[in-house]
Amino acid sequence: MRFGDFTAVDAVDLALEAREVVGLLGANGAGKTTLIRLLLGLVRPTAGDVELFGAPPSVETRRRVGYVPQTLGLYEDLTVAENWAFVTVAFGSGRPPLPAGIVDLGDAVVGSLPLGIQRRVAFAAAFSHRPELLILDEPTSGVAPLGRARLWQDVRETAEGGAGVLVTTHNMEEAEQCDRLVVLVDGAVAAAGGVAEVIGDRTVIEVGGPQWRLAYEVLDAQGLSVQLHGDTLRVPGSAAQIEDLLAPSGLDVTVGEAPANLEEAFVEVVSARSARRDGTAVRP
Amino acid sequence: MWAMIVKEFRQLRRDRRTLAMMIVLPVLMLVIFGYAARFNVSSIPTVVVGPDARPVAGALPTPFHVVEVDPTAGRSLAQSRLRDGKDVVAVVTGPGGTLVLLDGTQLFSVQTVRATMARDAPPGAGGSQAVAVQILYNPNLTTSWVMVPGLAGLILVFIGTLITSLGVVRERQAGTLEQLAVMPLRPWDVIVGKIAPYLIVAAVDLVGIVVVGMVLFHVPFVGNLGTFALGAALFLLVTLGMGVLVSTVSQNQGQAIQLALMLMMPQVLLSGLIFPVASMAPGVRWLAYVFPLTYFTEISRGVMLKGTPIGALWQPLGLLAVLAVVVLGTAVLRFRRDLAPGARRHRAPDGPGPALPA
Repeated sequence: MRFGDFTAVDAVDLALEAREVVGLLGANGAGKTTLIRLLLGLVRPTAGDVELFGAPPSVETRRRVGYVPQTLGLYEDLTVAENWAFVTVAFGSGRPPLPAGIVDLGDAVVGSLPLGIQRRVAFAAAFSHRPELLILDEPTSGVAPLGRARLWQDVRETAEGGAGVLVTTHNMEEAEQCDRLVVLVDGAVAAAGGVAEVIGDRTVIEVGGPQWRLAYEVLDAQGLSVQLHGDTLRVPGSAAQIEDLLAPSGLDVTVGEAPANLEEAFVEVVSARSARRDGTAVRP
Repeated sequence: MWAMIVKEFRQLRRDRRTLAMMIVLPVLMLVIFGYAARFNVSSIPTVVVGPDARPVAGALPTPFHVVEVDPTAGRSLAQSRLRDGKDVVAVVTGPGGTLVLLDGTQLFSVQTVRATMARDAPPGAGGSQAVAVQILYNPNLTTSWVMVPGLAGLILVFIGTLITSLGVVRERQAGTLEQLAVMPLRPWDVIVGKIAPYLIVAAVDLVGIVVVGMVLFHVPFVGNLGTFALGAALFLLVTLGMGVLVSTVSQNQGQAIQLALMLMMPQVLLSGLIFPVASMAPGVRWLAYVFPLTYFTEISRGVMLKGTPIGALWQPLGLLAVLAVVVLGTAVLRFRRDLAPGARRHRAPDGPGPALPA
């Protein structure tokens, strides 16, 4: 899928099992939303084919999919019950009662509800016809921590109920709640697997000691991606490279290797892919 | 404050539509309406019948424009031609004197005829016979009788174009249009489901306007209800189509309002609702024939005030039908592409890059 010279999605193959929560991980512009829109038939590919359940997106495939867009897709001027009635009739699910989590909100106008509650309503509406695949685009965007926890509880319960759930996110904490991750970079799959598989044997360098603040200034000045965990710095690269960079300053710091976390692994995957695209070497 | 002024100008410069509305539109409207806003009628279609039809027709001064002379015909033919909108003036000659019949629904034409008759020798005054004048369909030349049928159309334009376009654009802005597109609904289900409520509301409004016009302003309804309903239905389809069309090229409600107003304003002045189409400059008159309100005004006035039969209204009805097919068809095709995308321009929703035909 191309937009001018920009390739938004390129040869992505995504498999989802029932009862599985798959996280589609990527930076802004990585192609997450475009991939979802392709799967839903909201846009057509500029080249090639898109298949969902083994067939091009159609009215029939839509019956098997539930979708919650970033904008939620709810009518803000209608009540929860009225939105529910419209969605259930449109999907031909009859007139099921409101689910337990939102049954008390039936008469509330959607626009008057907090965003977290609105997202729960959108989630319930998308799952009203018991789809085999539930697609959630940034489901917790703008939601408070408590609301996020409840939403993830809903996601997990939905998966346990037999549906496959595809969640786009760039929140690493949420990504870690997924059974499997697919990392998109420049519209292509750059890494896939469980959290441990995506991280692999990637390591970072930890810099500690009394003069860690000065070390931060030195490494930051070199353009490195430096993260602060308590009073310890975490930077990508090898111990020898970091020691070489710090040596001229003569700082009293310790340098050691530690396993990377998901965010650090993600940054490395993205950097490596971008470097390959640009034909440049990866900076430590 | 200076920073605010600069910022405002920069935003205006980038908002091409608003800029066009502020600069180009007033100039355009001034030119168009300057040529359209004419109360004087320079040519009035006239039929002359009766034994002395030929000499009388030859003696008629400007602005009488004789389109039919029939010495063998009498008042019934002349009156039916007035009813059918073929002529505005009918001169019936005979041994007992000359009778001038005027179509009272054409206010400005009648006033022009009266002024001409008072100034010049009246029709048939070549001899010593008396000339009687009779105004048909609107004997007292009541303005409200002429305005109400046309205003009914104008209100339908308002509902059909503005309200409909806002309804669709609101759906697009809220992101619910995308949600509709992923539901197992056929595009036609969505389109008809979206338009039908506005059609019903507009139809109810139309009935209300006509009833209020009849009760409050004593506007007569002498024609066939079915003919009126057919014209109204075709007209509504065109206005709803215009509304959907406006919505498909508008990204937000502000743009939709701007565009809808651009379509509504000219119809108010160029449809014959206020100024007679016949008196407009030829360069502007063709615009009147593009707008559906011109035809609906002709139909509603004809049916309500004159009882014009459907056969005599085939032209405006036919043209409304053509407009309905073209406008609504185009609107539905464009709306359908939003719901079931094909070869249209897409913009990357979460990434940079220019749009490209998919």
